[in-house]
Amino acid sequence: MNTNSHGQSLGQPLAIAGGVAALAVLPFLAGNAYLEHLLVLWMLYALLALSLNIVIGYLGELTFGHAAFVGVGAYTSAILSTQLGLPPLLGLPLAGLVAAGFGLVIGYAALRVVGPQFAILTLGFGAILFTITNHWVDLTRGPMGITDIPPMAIGPLAFDSARPTYYLVLALVLATAYLCHALVGSRTGRAFLAVRENAPLAASLGINVFHTKLMGFVAATAIAGIGGAIYAHYIRVITPDIMGVHNVAALIIVVIIGGRGTILGPILGALVYIGLLESLRVAGPLRMVIFAALLTGTVVFLPGGLISLWQRWRNAHRSENNLPATPTGLPSTEGGAK
Amino acid sequence: MDFTVFAQQIANGLVNGMAYVLIATGLTLVFGVLRIVNFAHGEFYMLGAYITYFVGTLFGLDYIAAAAISAVVVAGLGVAANKLIFWPLRRDHEFTILLSSLGLALLIANGGELLFGADPKYVESPFADEVLDIGTVTLTQQRVLVFAAAVVALIAVYLFIRYSRFGKMMRATAQNPDGAALTGINIGLVHTYTFALACGLAALSGALVGPTVMIFPTIGNWAVLKGFIVVIMGGLGSVTGALFAGLLLGVIESLGGGYISLGFMEAIGYAMIIAVLLWRPNGLFSTARGLR
Repeated sequence: MNTNSHGQSLGQPLAIAGGVAALAVLPFLAGNAYLEHLLVLWMLYALLALSLNIVIGYLGELTFGHAAFVGVGAYTSAILSTQLGLPPLLGLPLAGLVAAGFGLVIGYAALRVVGPQFAILTLGFGAILFTITNHWVDLTRGPMGITDIPPMAIGPLAFDSARPTYYLVLALVLATAYLCHALVGSRTGRAFLAVRENAPLAASLGINVFHTKLMGFVAATAIAGIGGAIYAHYIRVITPDIMGVHNVAALIIVVIIGGRGTILGPILGALVYIGLLESLRVAGPLRMVIFAALLTGTVVFLPGGLISLWQRWRNAHRSENNLPATPTGLPSTEGGAK
Repeated sequence: MDFTVFAQQIANGLVNGMAYVLIATGLTLVFGVLRIVNFAHGEFYMLGAYITYFVGTLFGLDYIAAAAISAVVVAGLGVAANKLIFWPLRRDHEFTILLSSLGLALLIANGGELLFGADPKYVESPFADEVLDIGTVTLTQQRVLVFAAAVVALIAVYLFIRYSRFGKMMRATAQNPDGAALTGINIGLVHTYTFALACGLAALSGALVGPTVMIFPTIGNWAVLKGFIVVIMGGLGSVTGALFAGLLLGVIESLGGGYISLGFMEAIGYAMIIAVLLWRPNGLFSTARGLR
């Protein structure tokens, strides 16, 4: 990610190619349908976490409404395909568009305030969308949820099982990861980081803080909507719970535990979340207690998330070999909000 | 539009609103004095209701005593939460504090589900089934008690902040923590009793509202959301704002639920704060920094 400037210009593309190749062969190593299903969930959470990371990691604002946009995307595509018979392939971009539309309106209203007030406002907006979804029975079938959602299909290729869906979501995760990488290096991305680090200073340099934040927020909600639509067509059943507080907390946990403001962090966080969620299934409600403790522990003791452990190790390794070390903790271009 | 129905809706709204005010006052005090947005505040409301229930059923104490014990115990838990999480993090970024309070909220809510079970409970109160007629309005005694006890508690809090030595220390800390510390005010002590007061108020609200509804381990989510709406609408840190906004939210929800749609009642409340915030982004009663 940030290593090009530190003499690893050859190592990094190789590492990325190796990582992508490993991800590509994973379903063949999984061996059974259950593990393949978990891989799909991992990639779905990674996609959603990458989108949330744009707001939390790059814009430095905490949103509690992200799951609502996932739900808007999921419901848009599900309703279009079940009630209007629209092919899911068309529903996917429409889900992103509708979610982005909601993101634009909500972001326009909520981004007038920043910090804790913004977080609380997004929580309120999320609650409105949840309430409407739960009670507008004519459209959403309320708490009964929408069932028999057709699977995603591109021509003759149907994504009706875990393995093809895995590759679909993997492709989207890689595309989103690349977009985030390109964003951080672009003028717009630098504006995001400038706004995160010091909004008044950024404004004095001619950056329109409100528009910059709104742009990032809308992009994040569009990706969340697409992720939600894929989820709906993969699981084939959705209920308003997808927008619930539980899911909001899950996405935040993924981003924070993995490492906010980085690209690998949310992907790693999603792996840890799904892995723990399944391996601790016997623990029942204790699972969420463990996740809550992990969240608080990470925030307090490891603000850069798990990914920062790797950075620390690498720096220690470098100093042994008298190589220039990158600053510990959060690197300057991709660090999370302090 | 029938006047009796209308008056009844207003009365119901004021009672609900008063419970919101109790929750929101603690939330706004913690923010106003300590600059902490406590996401776990609603969980202290939940604990208040549950401890009242357990003290009542396990020890056979009457409702009033159980409610008082619950408020004191939860105030103690609030102090413990402050010592373990908020005080050590006081110099950290608000982001860190908000996230750790989210972690605490999940911890208490899910820990509560483990300990108390997910099935709904019903807090026994001798006032829950007795009815009181005020003019054309009919309320259960419990709901009258919610309103009356909340008014008494709020007046006590007002007098405490306005006239007591501790209250003056709180206001000084709210205006400028470093300046307050320089004049010899023990900031750690201010932290401790602000949390005790805030969590005690949340628990009192839970204990009062408990007998009028079913309680679940997840009601903390609901409580903190209502509290936040009220606090944001009134202006973060403003106690007066919380009072007006809380009553307004209660009445509007009640009228919306009665005349428009019960299902969308909640959404109407949220829609209201958005309208207010588009007009005044920092809330109705926001001015300079300090406790109001």
